[in-house]
Amino acid sequence: MPHQCTGCGRTFSDGSKEMLSGCPDCGGNTFQFRPADPSSGGPGDAESAAQTDATQTETGDPPGGSPSRPETDTSSVAETVGRATTKVRDLVSSDPTGTEPDADTEWPDDWGSQPTSSNPSVSSGKRDAERNAADRDGIIDADARRETPEDSEPKESAAQASARTDVVSPDELRSDPDTPDTPDPDTPDTPDTPDPDTPDTSTPDTSEFDSLDPVPEEAERPDGETETKGERPETETEAERPETSAQNARDAPAPASGEIVSEPTDEDPDLAELREQLNDQFESIKIIEPGQYELNLMELYDREEYIIALQENGRYVIQVPEQWIGDDPEGR
Amino acid sequence: MGLLTTLKSSVSRATSSLFAGEETKRIGIYGPPNAGKTTLANRIARDWTGDAVGPESHVPHETRRARRKENVEIKRNGKSVTIDVVDTPGVTTKVDYTEFLEHDIEKEDAVRRSREATEGVAEAMHWLREDVDGVIYVLDAAEDPFTQVNTMLVGIVESQDLPVLIFANKIDLEEANVQRVANAFPQHETVPLSALEGENMDEVYDKIAEYFG
Repeated sequence: MPHQCTGCGRTFSDGSKEMLSGCPDCGGNTFQFRPADPSSGGPGDAESAAQTDATQTETGDPPGGSPSRPETDTSSVAETVGRATTKVRDLVSSDPTGTEPDADTEWPDDWGSQPTSSNPSVSSGKRDAERNAADRDGIIDADARRETPEDSEPKESAAQASARTDVVSPDELRSDPDTPDTPDPDTPDTPDTPDPDTPDTSTPDTSEFDSLDPVPEEAERPDGETETKGERPETETEAERPETSAQNARDAPAPASGEIVSEPTDEDPDLAELREQLNDQFESIKIIEPGQYELNLMELYDREEYIIALQENGRYVIQVPEQWIGDDPEGR
Repeated sequence: MGLLTTLKSSVSRATSSLFAGEETKRIGIYGPPNAGKTTLANRIARDWTGDAVGPESHVPHETRRARRKENVEIKRNGKSVTIDVVDTPGVTTKVDYTEFLEHDIEKEDAVRRSREATEGVAEAMHWLREDVDGVIYVLDAAEDPFTQVNTMLVGIVESQDLPVLIFANKIDLEEANVQRVANAFPQHETVPLSALEGENMDEVYDKIAEYFG
């Protein structure tokens, strides 16, 4: 839930201190939360989040992801993460290692619920684009699986595991059981793929993966992967996927690029909790929901500028000292 | 910025004291919600000026903006002390509109009150930093004084080196325990009173004149 200047519309990420001295662009001192409040973050919100997400993937602009993603509230962030993870899974399921059953034992639960709720609305546009490109590049099996993600749990779980390896640190790889890695050498499982077109086309890929996967310390494996597959649109989307999936993959550390506002550092990346921790660092007034506030008295006291008006829908006005000098009608 | 603010504040204080003919101390009445701050402010204002400061209520956060009563001249023992009484909103770390619902306030109104109360706390804290020369800390003697808010606020006041008086209010209540309040803040003088009933107000004014004169 970042802040937005109501004057020029500039947004500030959750935790930004820039705005404390007024908007750097227009000097305004009226800001609002975006989106309004958690209670309104219903399906419509999730929908907009989905659109945002789709836009991101289509434009393939990773830096653009950082300001827009925090705009969703906690619940829709979770949904977005879920969707993104689904995409990662779908994409990676093109990796023949997806059929490896070992990974299945480790990640069976995460995939029953998430895909059903999020997958249908994920990114039909993206899907089409990818499908076209995929046809050209002969990785059509990826799309085939994308169409039927829920019923193929082994692949999904392996995809999850694979996603983990994508973002996992070398340390993690060393300490973790090698389930994420073991699938890779087992690439000959490709015949399991439901798509009839795959066997011949996917084979080159698997050989490439064979050369890549056994290298455990290659944390940026997706990049290498995309290079091998050339210019297909998925290369763009992949830039964001490992990161979002990192929020979902339980023990995957945040990527170095750190696009997400709250980097999951512990085993249970509860976004609400992380946001709370972040807010605790500086917020003097925490709006839990309209009409419910938590106040950090020391922050309120220490601060030169202060909130003079909390308004409807999460808007608020902060009094900036410079402006106070000129505008204070009381002449104190 | 801070310097300018301070400068401005001291300039305005100097100006006001010029017109008042003597230095007027701005005394902030602080405390948790429902401690009786407004009742006390009204009592002081009525006793010495005839006017009230603001409406009193059993509903917490009735005072949601700091209110000032200026130039309250208190005469004690042939000495005159002029103070500005600042009645501040009750300071708390949590404001929840559901609290107001118990007082037969509609939800919409409760949410609004809650918002205003939160602003009020921010304002009160800001005043404490910038605009008060002394603090009367009012506590409901029937309530447990060992709270985070009380400790923090009194600590802030102490760090500012402001003169502070602890008022153990509501001694008209049976369950009032002045000693408990005194024990909570042994470093400060505790004055028992009932602002509502006007009990022990003589000592209150004596102490105000002594501390803030």
